[in-house]
Amino acid sequence: MMSNFCARYLGSVLLLWFTSISCLSWAQKAKPSEYQVKAAYLSNFGRFVEWPAEVTAGDAPFYVCVLGQDSFGPFLDAALSGEKIGRATLLPKRLSRVEDGADCRLLFISASEDTRLAPILAGVGKSVLTVSDMPGFSQRGGMIQFVVEGNRVRFEINLAAAQHAGLILGSDLLKVATAVRRGL
Amino acid sequence: MAGGLVVIRKVQKRSIKQQLIRMNMLVSGAALLVACGAVLTYEVAAFRQTMVRGLSIQAQIVGANSVSALLFEDPESATKTLSALSAAPNILSGGIYTADGEEFATYFRVRPEALPQPVLAGDRVESHRFADGELRLVRRIIFQGKQIGTVYIRSDLREQASRIFRYLVILAGVLLLSLLSAFVLSHRFQRTIAQPLVGLAAVARVVSRERKFSVRAVTTTSQDEVAELIEAFNEMLGQIQERDSALQSAREELEQRVAWRTAELETVNKELESFTYSVAHDLRAPLRHIQGFSAALSEEFGAQLSPEGVDYVRRIVNGTRRMGLLINDLLALAHVGRQELHLRRTGLNALAQEVVQDLKEEARDRDIRWETGDLPSANCDPGLMRQVFYNLLSNAVKYTRPRNPAVIEIGQTQVNGEQVIFVRDNGVGFNMKYSAKLFGVFQRLHRVEDFEGTGVGLATVQRIIHKHGGRIWAEAEVDRGAAFFFTLNRVEPF
Repeated sequence: MMSNFCARYLGSVLLLWFTSISCLSWAQKAKPSEYQVKAAYLSNFGRFVEWPAEVTAGDAPFYVCVLGQDSFGPFLDAALSGEKIGRATLLPKRLSRVEDGADCRLLFISASEDTRLAPILAGVGKSVLTVSDMPGFSQRGGMIQFVVEGNRVRFEINLAAAQHAGLILGSDLLKVATAVRRGL
Repeated sequence: MAGGLVVIRKVQKRSIKQQLIRMNMLVSGAALLVACGAVLTYEVAAFRQTMVRGLSIQAQIVGANSVSALLFEDPESATKTLSALSAAPNILSGGIYTADGEEFATYFRVRPEALPQPVLAGDRVESHRFADGELRLVRRIIFQGKQIGTVYIRSDLREQASRIFRYLVILAGVLLLSLLSAFVLSHRFQRTIAQPLVGLAAVARVVSRERKFSVRAVTTTSQDEVAELIEAFNEMLGQIQERDSALQSAREELEQRVAWRTAELETVNKELESFTYSVAHDLRAPLRHIQGFSAALSEEFGAQLSPEGVDYVRRIVNGTRRMGLLINDLLALAHVGRQELHLRRTGLNALAQEVVQDLKEEARDRDIRWETGDLPSANCDPGLMRQVFYNLLSNAVKYTRPRNPAVIEIGQTQVNGEQVIFVRDNGVGFNMKYSAKLFGVFQRLHRVEDFEGTGVGLATVQRIIHKHGGRIWAEAEVDRGAAFFFTLNRVEPF
């Protein structure tokens, strides 16, 4: 099971290298890679979350930020390209420090930031949806944590963390989550 | 052929009553069938629409509940959503497809099957199709303006079939009840139309078969054409009856009048005959005195009389003899009238020959050629018939006196298919102008100085022929001869 996952992971990295130089339409027809799927998820999470009204007011773009090492590469840009949630246009943003993400609506924290997670979560602005694929993320105060089950990308939800940040996660999102934590 | 006749007979035998009921039933049945057909057609169409709407709603619900599953690749969640379709027993299978057309989640009521690739033409959101007893519906799943998948639902039409069956059962019941009530109602209402007509037909049959005009058709209280017809028919019967009785009474009156006249005539005739007889009879006594005393005068005082006196007495004697003959003839004529007919089968040949022999004796000195043909035998009074032949033949002898030789012919011939006996001579004849007078009493066409006679002979002949139911007539030309023809009703062939 574990070796199988490692092989998949390695294959995905190879595929990433390939698709980075091949055309996108071809990539969609083939079996999508893990980060391609994750990028697509990042573009869709926002559709099931309700932000406080003061955040959604105005025509500010919907920034999807990546903190730390960027494993998405062009996939994220492709997934967000031309997409909108309500009136807000989805735009990617890559950060090296959490302080730079004041206008982020969604913050993906790379596994490379595992050791600095506590100060990062403390430094995240209010009403930012936090997502990561580092193990134990949801237990440690993160809102959505990617998990890979078999060859499929799934996610766990920490509903309490989201509520604490003033975000309401839609029941449709909770329905497809593998686990939903309601307490801290 | 025989079967066809039987069928025609059956058709003709159907009474108006049955026809009325049949017509009512057919009309109401046809109307009900058309109405039921329309209702059923509408019901099926409406039900199909309802079914499509219901399936469409289900597809929409499934689609809406599968959005997150599609976006976050959770086919289990989609399968769970689909499995809610099991609440609807009519849904056979369902499927959710990704935007790329790949099968994402499925639902099968009984066992898995291959689902078709859902196809939606152009930009249509939804389409459905009734085929093979199923309803198939495809609907796009659209989330925030973007198609993210497709739903496909397949449903059977069991519900529709059972609904149609229920409808048919109800319609059959309605039809049956309606026809039953139509039958009962038309049975009741036909009486007002058919019953008077049936009665009328029965009366007409009696009238035409038995010639009985005293019957009347039963009238109805209604004011329709049938009542009018019955009234007119009864009126006509009344008129016929009236005319019939008028005719009858007129006929009776006529018969009565004829009988009365006949009796009157007979009485007058009898009176006349008895008068003639008594007069003739009573005249004989004084005549005999005249004769007797004239004879005595000439015997006893003949010598004392001058030649002139002798001549007077001779004239008196001649006159009385002629008067005696007249009286005898009149008595004979009266006798013929009073006498009963004694009919007997008589050979007329022999009768005529007897008379001819007597006349030959009387006219010995004359040259007469007698030509007698065959005569039939007849049912007649022989004495009177002898008189007929004697009178006719003696007339012939008398009026042929200037001829030498005289020719007298007796025979029979056919005139207008009737057997006629004739006596013809080549004598002096007569003018046909006076033929009407020929058979009258005392009627003479010649002077006594030329041909003696009383003028009673032909009257007697006519009376005898009439008594026998026959007719007599004559044809003649002055100086060319005369012919007398007579028929006898009772003449029989040889």
